[in-house]
Amino acid sequence: MFKNIIIFLVILTFGFMLPGETITVKGSDTMVIFGQRLAEEYMKKNPNVSIQVTGGGSGTGISALINGTTDLCNSSRPMKKSEREKLKQRYATLGVEIKVAKDGLSIFVNESNPLEEITLEQLKKIYTGKITNWKELGGKDARIILYSRENNSGTYVYFKDYVLEGDDFAPFAQNMPGTAAVVNAVAKDEKGIGYGGVAYGKGVKFLKVKADPKSPAFEPTPENIKSGDYPISRFLYIYTRTKPTGEIKKYIDWILSDEGQSIITSVGYFPIR
Amino acid sequence: MQIISTIITILVISLNVNAQDSLATKDDIGEVQATLEYMNETLTDIKNFVDVIRKIKWSGYIQTQYQYADEAGISSFAGGSFPTNVNSRFQVRRGRIKFVYDQEITQYVLQVDITQNGVGIKDAYAMIRDPWIRTFSLTGGVFDRPFGFEISHSSGMRETPERSRLFQTLFPGERELGVKLEATSEEGVFSFINIRAGLFNGVLPNANENDSNKDFIGKIGFKIPVAEHNLSIDGGLSVYLGKVTSTSKYIHTFDAQATIPKFHIDSSITNIGKSFNRNYFGADFQLYYEIQQIGGMSIRSEFITGKQPGSETSNSFYYPTSTDKTPKLYHRNFYGWYVGYVQNIGLSNQFVIKYDVLDPNSDVVGDDIGKIGTNLTTADIKYSTLGFGWVYHWDMNVKFMIYYDIVKNEKVNATATGTLVDFKNDLKDNVLTLRMQYLF
Repeated sequence: MFKNIIIFLVILTFGFMLPGETITVKGSDTMVIFGQRLAEEYMKKNPNVSIQVTGGGSGTGISALINGTTDLCNSSRPMKKSEREKLKQRYATLGVEIKVAKDGLSIFVNESNPLEEITLEQLKKIYTGKITNWKELGGKDARIILYSRENNSGTYVYFKDYVLEGDDFAPFAQNMPGTAAVVNAVAKDEKGIGYGGVAYGKGVKFLKVKADPKSPAFEPTPENIKSGDYPISRFLYIYTRTKPTGEIKKYIDWILSDEGQSIITSVGYFPIR
Repeated sequence: MQIISTIITILVISLNVNAQDSLATKDDIGEVQATLEYMNETLTDIKNFVDVIRKIKWSGYIQTQYQYADEAGISSFAGGSFPTNVNSRFQVRRGRIKFVYDQEITQYVLQVDITQNGVGIKDAYAMIRDPWIRTFSLTGGVFDRPFGFEISHSSGMRETPERSRLFQTLFPGERELGVKLEATSEEGVFSFINIRAGLFNGVLPNANENDSNKDFIGKIGFKIPVAEHNLSIDGGLSVYLGKVTSTSKYIHTFDAQATIPKFHIDSSITNIGKSFNRNYFGADFQLYYEIQQIGGMSIRSEFITGKQPGSETSNSFYYPTSTDKTPKLYHRNFYGWYVGYVQNIGLSNQFVIKYDVLDPNSDVVGDDIGKIGTNLTTADIKYSTLGFGWVYHWDMNVKFMIYYDIVKNEKVNATATGTLVDFKNDLKDNVLTLRMQYLF
């Protein structure tokens, strides 16, 4: 019986360890824009490599990393302890976190909205349902329509943790499937307010954000985000299950190179260095 | 949801266009507004419904397997004993469906196990998290006992077919009815520490209590990730402080100091209704480390010692059943341990080897068992199991496992008689398991 078992194990070991040249990237919708640009540029330079980039949200990407259905995970939030625990139990690894870019989380309203700036405290009150009318912020007498993201989004998690300080979103907030959908909704809704990555904010009006009522208000400009003056900024990450090797390592090294970082900058995000 | 939004947007636009084209009267505008309000209400209703549905998460797995034993009718911890005259079998070992209704602050969990043996409840509990510092949670119902590592290591994730003999003996079914307080933090200094403690009935979830004693189970654990070295060191200390109540007047306590170590029998009538300690003390340790180019490895080990109130034929904990309402109580000192090694090879393959030991009566050696007058039984025999196998993950849902258990029992005294005779030699009770699991 032992002999048969050993033969079976040898077949399993060598029969299923065929390497591939395709890299799959899944996760943050915020990072899809530059993820695809990076992939396109890298594939032009390395025609033997195929890179498939899809969104779905940071949570979806991390689940895919745990399930083994993606090589790289794009995430706009750090991995949670519980997610690392799943990775550890399945692969006996902690995952490798690589900061690849910086992003400002912009707050936008319809272009017809007269409001110019907002404090973090007001934002929290709006999204937790304590402020429900634009009049309370010096605007028109109109109900505030909240546009948010679904809970598998890293942007959602970051906004909840950082702006709402862990409190729940108001139940009447409308959860949209991607930042682009939030932007589209706010662009059409003069009573709307939304949040998302700076790179997506076309056709809407950015609000200046104040850390507190006495602080100056800052626009989500590259200078303000890089300097740290803009109060809502975050890192964007790539996660791998194990320490990157082979083609995956080459790709990540290239993303962190001047060339990769310049592509990230060209689509509206900010370099890590 | 996106489709519904799109449809409604198109309808709204078309209604607006129609209204403009026909130079709508006030009545027409009012009608359009009423329609929009109706649609908005409908959308809100649908959204509320969808939001509720999305809070229900369900998952599950089924494990179907073929097993081949050395001999027919053996007693086994590799998925249960084999029936008489049977040395190979197909089984649905586990068929789990788990429903979780998650409100973030509160959670309801129901898990059932559906196999060829019927339907059983595995988990049924409610949990409340503290909304202020998000560190504490309170759980009530049927759930995993907060002891050691192996209990909470999911059967769907485990690389071996079964838990060690030690855990199957001390904690049959893993779950218990009770209430538990847990403290764990997502970040900060205390994020490395986890404390779980609770009070439990002290019997199996589906068994009737025969006393009012509640058992205390607690664990203080740590997890220290050293990310820059791809290393994590986890571990903990656990304690079980419980009592069982005897329904028999016969209490057997072991006298290790006697000329011939033996069970002393106390047959005082006052023993009926008297409580006896069921105390376990455990330590567990896990090390995870990534070996570059190969994959992550883990070494997991656990040691438990204590005092176990069992019966004449069983070293599992004492409890009267409908078929044996007055089992004699045997109080034994015991210890057990295991160490396991798992090596991931690439993304899909895992090699596993594990060794476990259970000495249900640490005051005796094999040669004592079977001597005349010792009153020692088959429940005092020490066992060790060396298991090794391979796991292949076909995709995110399916995995295959091949695993072989080599089971060794202590050899009893050459003069042993009765049910002990078979244990004069190592029993032929090795088991080969071929398993397929589908997890979703």
